[in-house]
Amino acid sequence: MPDPLESSLKIAGAGLEAQSLRLRIISENVANSQSTATTPGGDPYTRQTITFGNELDRASGLNLVQVKSIGLDQAPFKVEHDPGNPAADASGFVKLPNVDMLTELADMREANRSYEANLQVAKQSADLESQTVSLLKDA
Amino acid sequence: MAEPYVFKLASQRSEWLSTRETLIAGNVANANTPGYRATDLQPFSSVLDATQMTMATTNPMHMTPTEQDLNPARVVETDPSDETISGNSVRLENEMIKLGDVNRDYTMDTNLKRVMHQMMLSVLK
Repeated sequence: MPDPLESSLKIAGAGLEAQSLRLRIISENVANSQSTATTPGGDPYTRQTITFGNELDRASGLNLVQVKSIGLDQAPFKVEHDPGNPAADASGFVKLPNVDMLTELADMREANRSYEANLQVAKQSADLESQTVSLLKDA
Repeated sequence: MAEPYVFKLASQRSEWLSTRETLIAGNVANANTPGYRATDLQPFSSVLDATQMTMATTNPMHMTPTEQDLNPARVVETDPSDETISGNSVRLENEMIKLGDVNRDYTMDTNLKRVMHQMMLSVLK
C-alpha cells in the first residue's frame, strides 16, 4: 500500500481536476447563453451537463474521482418572436439556448466550494508530510 | 532490543491518522459524485484493542493480522435525510471538521515523537 499521505495528495489532485473541468463546462454554458443557430429555424447551443463517477484506481487501490460523462441538457429551448433575427424560422420565432444564468451561477459557486475543499486537503496532506520530515531536524 | 512501546504506539497513531486523511480526501473528492457513500475509519481505540493482545505465532501456518485488517474502512451510517437527491452522503462541513481533527492530532503525535527522541538522547548524553 502506498504512503497514505501521498495518496491523499493524489486523490485531492483528481478532485481538483474534476472540479476544474466542471468550471470549464459552466463557463462554456455561460459564454454561449445567447448563441443562436447559424441556419434559419435551426437548434441553438444546448446546455452541457457534467457527471462525476467514483473510480477505483487499480494500480494503487485508491478511491479517485473522474468525470463520467458530459451530456446535453434535455430541457426545451426558450422561444422568442424576433422576425429580424437571421436564425428565425418562417413564422419569425427564434430558439434560444436552454441555459439558465441563475442555475449556472449557483453551480459555479458549488464547484468553487468543492475546489477549495480539495485544495485544503491537498495543502494539509503536504503539511503533515513536512511535519514528519522535520522530525529529522534538531533531534 | 525491542522497540519501546511508546514509539510503536506513536507510529500506529500516525499511521491511523494518515489513513484517515486518505479517506477524507476520497470523501471530499467525491463530494459531487452521485451515489457515493462517505467512509471513515473505526476509532483508534478499537485498533488499539485489537493489537494489544496479539496471539503468539506458535505454528508457521498461523496467520497474523496485517495492518490493513486492523484498519478496515467502514461506511459511515448517515441519516437518509442528510443525503442529496443523487444519493451522496458526503457533508463537506463534516469532512473539514475531521480534517482539522486529523491535523491537530497528527501535530500532537509528531511533537510527542520529537519529545520522546529528545528524552532518549538525553539519557545517552
